[in-house]
Amino acid sequence: MSDRFQKYSAPIIILIIILILWESLVAAFDIEQFLLPRPSVILSNLVRVIILAPETTAPDASKIAAKLKDNLLIVSIPKNTPQEALKPIASAKIVTQISLFGRRFLLIQGQNLSPILQSSWVTLKEALGGLALGSSLGVLVALITARWTATREALLPFAIAANSMPIIAFAPIMNNWFGIDNPFSKMAIVAIMTFFPMMINTVRGLTLVDARSLELMRSYAASNLDIVLKLRVPNALPYLFSGLKVAAALSMIGAVVGEYFGGPRIALGVFITQEAALFRFSSAWAAIIIACILGIALYLIIILVERLAMPWHVSFR
Amino acid sequence: MESVVSIQKVNKTFGEGTNNQVHALDDIDLVIQPNEFVSLIGPSGCGKSTLLRVIGDLITPTSGKITINGKSAHQARLDRDYGMVFQAATLYDWRTVAKNVQLPLELMKYSNDKKEARTREMLALVELEDFDRHYPWQLSGGMQQRVAIARALAFEPSILLMDEPFGALDEMTRERMNLELLDIWGKTQTTVIFVTHSITEAVFLSTRVMVMSARPGRLIQDITIDLPQPRNADSRENVRFFELETEVREALRQSESQKHE
Repeated sequence: MSDRFQKYSAPIIILIIILILWESLVAAFDIEQFLLPRPSVILSNLVRVIILAPETTAPDASKIAAKLKDNLLIVSIPKNTPQEALKPIASAKIVTQISLFGRRFLLIQGQNLSPILQSSWVTLKEALGGLALGSSLGVLVALITARWTATREALLPFAIAANSMPIIAFAPIMNNWFGIDNPFSKMAIVAIMTFFPMMINTVRGLTLVDARSLELMRSYAASNLDIVLKLRVPNALPYLFSGLKVAAALSMIGAVVGEYFGGPRIALGVFITQEAALFRFSSAWAAIIIACILGIALYLIIILVERLAMPWHVSFR
Repeated sequence: MESVVSIQKVNKTFGEGTNNQVHALDDIDLVIQPNEFVSLIGPSGCGKSTLLRVIGDLITPTSGKITINGKSAHQARLDRDYGMVFQAATLYDWRTVAKNVQLPLELMKYSNDKKEARTREMLALVELEDFDRHYPWQLSGGMQQRVAIARALAFEPSILLMDEPFGALDEMTRERMNLELLDIWGKTQTTVIFVTHSITEAVFLSTRVMVMSARPGRLIQDITIDLPQPRNADSRENVRFFELETEVREALRQSESQKHE
């Protein structure tokens, strides 16, 4: 426990310090909202915190009910509040609740998901779809080049060149090809962006095999298929996962930036550009933060799968 | 009795016709009988490892004839006549100890029962029964090398090719591994061809030591090691042991001076 605690506590403390500094400096220097909103204001676009006084009455609860439309609410209620007073929010969808310090804390979901969360879901689907498509194609092509070496010689220079191009520049073209509202226009751009790092990394893993390990296989008169399956593929796994981590980050970038060039009404990129155009910067910031959180979550999921797939690897000892 | 290895006039030149052409093996003649333990010793870069790989059909000779168990080296490799052990254990990181030993058995389509039984037998032979579920990185260098030996012997190859297998181990571990290898050799009736840098190791293990000269690699002396069998820690203190060590050392010195002429 203490090991883990120490490992994670330092970055968490730094994050908290940064947030406190941000909050207090923006307030102290009176920085304009449109330049840099305070973190608490940004957060209020995602979650409202409502603390009820001990003498909560039905009208107070009605105020909450009014806010239930489209937000996540954290409501703190004194334990002894009569049920009667909470009637107006009786129909609220309670996600989870905990009791702490003699109060009940409810996490309540509004009737509709907030536009930010709805948009996030749309964008996440585009990113995941494109990631799945691009990375599986990348691995497939890499496997083909492992079997037919000539294709590797022919393809790899192009792949490396393509990997250093700003592929996102193709986004308007993809919108044109598949239609702005079609999620596939964003998936296509994500797929192209993730294809190259996946392919290059996997090819590297399949080819950078220890010479002795290959000699060993040859001394057993192993077939080419056996050499690929029992040596090259396991050898490529660590490379494949580092490719996947790069691809995961690229997939969120590709989806959001792809939407900057136009997309369905409800999507993170579109939401951010619209809110910024309307000077609603705090909600634009909130959407950006959600995009970041999704990117990080994707990355963490990949690390988890990596651990399960190769418990033997040096990085997990 | 038919010889296990018969090599006639084998030459190997790397990069033939280029500027950095290297004549690695020069007119090698060598005959090895069943159940011999032959060491190849010589200065670095003398082509010992090349000769080992030529015998194992991992390198094709430029000229000459190689017969292994009455057939070509290539056919012998296809027939799985060779077990290989390198200086690095070359275990696959993603396989447990047991799975590493099973690797050749999987490739050779052994049945599951036979695979399991053989693995248990081999791990018992190298005294690692309790480590079957460990991963290679959890073992010491000596233990890893024992797994590599178990893997090489798992499919009962008639020839064990060892390329400085204990070269990376410390002196004490190396001496213990030498004893274990002799024990295994005694139990399995395998023919061993063993490349080494160590005079002591060569004399202690072998029935014959072949001394090689550097560039081009030639076999310059064939020294029969007539120490009594089976050998044990006391063999190292035998007077004859020192005589033979000296003989090998002199031969090596001679090969050095030949080079400088």
